[in-house]
Amino acid sequence: MNNSWRRQYLRGVHAGLPVIPGFIPVGIAYAVVALSARFNAAETILMSVTVFAGASQMMAVGMYTQGAGMLAIILATFMLNLRHLIMSTCVIHLIRHSPLPVRLLASLGVTDESFGIFTTGQAEDHTAAYFFGLITVTYSAWIAGTALGVFASGLLPDVLTASFSIALYAIFIGIMVPNLTRNLRLALLVLMTAGCNTALSQMMDSSWALILSTLICAALGVFFVDPDTEGKQEKAGQGGVSDAG
Amino acid sequence: MLDKIWLLIFGMAVVTWLPRLLPAALIERMHFSRRMEKFLRLIPYTAMTAMIVPGVFRVDPQRPLIGLAGCLAACLLAWRGASVMVVVLAAIGADLLLYLVF
Repeated sequence: MNNSWRRQYLRGVHAGLPVIPGFIPVGIAYAVVALSARFNAAETILMSVTVFAGASQMMAVGMYTQGAGMLAIILATFMLNLRHLIMSTCVIHLIRHSPLPVRLLASLGVTDESFGIFTTGQAEDHTAAYFFGLITVTYSAWIAGTALGVFASGLLPDVLTASFSIALYAIFIGIMVPNLTRNLRLALLVLMTAGCNTALSQMMDSSWALILSTLICAALGVFFVDPDTEGKQEKAGQGGVSDAG
Repeated sequence: MLDKIWLLIFGMAVVTWLPRLLPAALIERMHFSRRMEKFLRLIPYTAMTAMIVPGVFRVDPQRPLIGLAGCLAACLLAWRGASVMVVVLAAIGADLLLYLVF
């Protein structure tokens, strides 16, 4: 039992390794944006340790820079992380026979990446030990990347720090565009959201415009976008949810 | 100022942990309508889009071209199938080039 737990854990560690080259630069980029938003080193690292959600952290420091209120940032974080409800359901469903404390601890490690790797893995790898191995790597890489960014940004010239500001947007573009080329209706929804948010930003505070256009456009998208035609990762997630239901 | 940031981090941790923890606690009782599930899966796209536009044009408020150039470089590489890391580095590179030239 102990031996098999260790073997499964190590298999999970191995499966998580490809995440490292992705997480380290994003962690660095987050730290640089956070520092430019006047977070200090401890605050920047503390957010990575406690929140562990790249897109939310990027968004939060971005909104903070633009002068958004605390409530707006927390509400936007909640909106952005509602998808983790689905992802966590898929992951937890696969390890539902584990004791409650194990399930609770594992759920805190659910991110887009750990969800994707775990739910598309082989049936014999759907163990809590494997998932803990996987998230040990993703969590460590995220904190290490943040710490590197905090340390390195002091050495970076201003012009480079200024150029890093685009990283926040480039990450979202890098995540979205491949799916948009495969799903033109989703691309249409994205264009619609861009227009909607630009219009709403003229009428109200930009952080509230963001929340409103996110909700309104996702609700409208339900009627004409089929998110199932994305990648195999999404399909695997879909299967997990229907199994749970 | 310092207290405000720590409070912000605490609030974010709570709203980030809740959606992750809830399924772990309630897995036996969870049911989603297909429409609700679809809605939640579209939110990342609408949220990310709303975060990019129009904010990206204010990356450097004095020079909207900086945001546009980084955005175009990122779109081009992502469209050509580059990894997210390459996309990010290209956008940073494009802006760095602009800052150095102008």
